[in-house]
Amino acid sequence: MNNFLNIQSLSAKVEDKLIINNLNLNVDKGEVHAIMGPNGSGKSTLSNVLAGKDGYEITSGIINFCGEDLMSLKPNERSNRGIFLAFQYPVEIPGVTNINFIKTALDSNRKHRGLDPLKPGDFLKLIKEKSKILGIPEDRLKRQLNVGFSGGEKKRNEALQLLMLDPSLAILDETDSGLDVDAFKIVADSINSRRNNDSSMLIITHYQRLLERIEPDFVHVFINGSIIESGGPELASEIESNGYERFTDVK
Amino acid sequence: MDMRDSLMLSNLTLDNFDKSFKGSNSLVEERKNAFLNLKKIGIPNKRIENWKYMDLAKITKGIEFKPRGINFELLNKNLKGIVVRDFEYFIENKDQYSKLTKYLDNEGVVYLNLSYAQEASVIEIKESQSEPLLINISCNEDGVSFPRIKIDVFPNIEAEVHLFYDGGKGFINQLTEINIQKNSNLRVQRVNKSSAIHSETFLSYLGLNSNISLVNLSMPKNKSRFQVYNIFLDQHSCTDFKSVSIPYEDCQDDFLIQNLHMSSNCESNVGLRAILNKGTVCSFQALVDIDLNTSSSKAIQDCKAILLHEDASMNAKPEMKIFNDDVVCKHGTTIGCLDKEQLFYLQSRGLSPVSAEKILLQGVIKNYISEDSSLNNFLPKVYQ
Ligand SMILES: Nc1ncnc2c1ncn2[C@@H]1O[C@H](COP(=O)(O)OP(=O)(O)OP(=O)(O)O)[C@@H](O)[C@H]1O
Ligand SMILES: [Mg+2]
Repeated sequence: MNNFLNIQSLSAKVEDKLIINNLNLNVDKGEVHAIMGPNGSGKSTLSNVLAGKDGYEITSGIINFCGEDLMSLKPNERSNRGIFLAFQYPVEIPGVTNINFIKTALDSNRKHRGLDPLKPGDFLKLIKEKSKILGIPEDRLKRQLNVGFSGGEKKRNEALQLLMLDPSLAILDETDSGLDVDAFKIVADSINSRRNNDSSMLIITHYQRLLERIEPDFVHVFINGSIIESGGPELASEIESNGYERFTDVK
Repeated sequence: MDMRDSLMLSNLTLDNFDKSFKGSNSLVEERKNAFLNLKKIGIPNKRIENWKYMDLAKITKGIEFKPRGINFELLNKNLKGIVVRDFEYFIENKDQYSKLTKYLDNEGVVYLNLSYAQEASVIEIKESQSEPLLINISCNEDGVSFPRIKIDVFPNIEAEVHLFYDGGKGFINQLTEINIQKNSNLRVQRVNKSSAIHSETFLSYLGLNSNISLVNLSMPKNKSRFQVYNIFLDQHSCTDFKSVSIPYEDCQDDFLIQNLHMSSNCESNVGLRAILNKGTVCSFQALVDIDLNTSSSKAIQDCKAILLHEDASMNAKPEMKIFNDDVVCKHGTTIGCLDKEQLFYLQSRGLSPVSAEKILLQGVIKNYISEDSSLNNFLPKVYQ
């Protein structure tokens, strides 16, 4: 057992339906884990449970993050401790300016680390630099958060927040879905460039092509709310060619 | 008329009141007629008015119906092209005036004001203004008061008026009439922080190719009713009325906004954003009335209310009376709590539940009152 992210025998229900079923997963510092699984298997539910969303009944198990019981923390406290979820479906928030929101989020996380808010000039420099990497035009920063953004633009905006907040554990829920060919490469490479010994990633995806750009240390096959097989990148290739049939048969 | 109504009226008619009907200028004539009408229909109440929500007859019970002075103040001095004078009819064409009475026949609240307002101020805007006109209205004695203002905007004018109501006691029954002559554009800001029972009837008459836009920040500390009648007298005119309602705990804030499309090619836009705390009640009754002979009209109504407490309530009643086929009308209403998905999104980025809530509420208001609007300063700190 490591002392970074440690999930043991986790089960969770939504409206009396068991979605996460006795799940075990260990993620160590600096590791990249990929989770692949059919639609409706519970991957987003797992991300939401990790990020602290309401509405799930945890029926058993523990989640430990950096030695703390994650369940006892509110979503913002989890964020402050370095957990970041890039949403599969980012919500639109009218009346809230994208750039102001990112500044507020960054300052809140910095405050937790005992840092002063970033000076406006420095912040602007940073966000311009990251937007440029992701090919996000400046006027999109001034728009209302995700409002009217296309599917791909929303995903890019999640990637921007990821680069800006620089979390120690990034959970990416299908961040690659919805991106065009060029955007896919840009976003995947920028995510990959974040790899270092101090931060880990949990990447949920349906496509092996993402894992060709971000080579995972582990690939997990996620069926009916639990991991039924783990392996290396070769597992992703197998799923790409044969689908989930073999795994569902095992079940 | 029931017993209590007649008591109130006789209370008012006594002494000073009868005397005040003496003389024969146009104001006195109008008051006499209005009073006859009021005697017929009685003190405003739910039964007789178009109004469905706030029963003024009931809630003004116990208030002594003794008229008292009003402080009406135009804060800017010596503005070029502004004339402030006593009331006279400013609508030359009386037929136009009588057209509008059709809509006000059973609005006791208007006749109450018309009968008892002993002074009326007229502000004439004869030249375009670079700074807003600031108008304060307050009443600090108990009893009833009847502020009445007319604003006459001359042709080809650009101007802005800020109305400010703060504090006060008793029952304020206000009548605001705005005449916008052809090719003019008036912007109005209204801040209501009245602690009296406040009812304001706001009539605007729009001439050819004229425009009125109003942004209203309503934060009553008692019961408040704001009823608007926009009357399109001529073609190609527009109205845009946006209200933000944040009543104090246990207070009530009601809106009745009617856009009376009696000329073709006009456009009306009405919106409300309400944030409702414990014990608050808000209602939004918006009517679009499009005449048989009126074509190419456009009308939009839009209402959004956020209930922050289980003991808060919102009544939304969009109404459309459309007698002509050539129209574009839209209306939408959403009433609910703050969106859980949005709250979670913000919190997952490190914002505390309190600041996530704050940011969402600011978002609700921002589209109406932006950060650089002067109204922003009047908002409670948490929403600024
Ligand atoms: N609030 C809810 N109420 C009822 N059922 C829910 C709720 N949330 C999730 N579910 C169900 O839980 C199951 C898992 O959903 P989840 O979104 O986690 O799947 P997923 O693995 O992310 O799928 P996809 O690959 O399509 O994104 C689905 O059957 C879904 O319908
Ligand atoms: Mg999903």
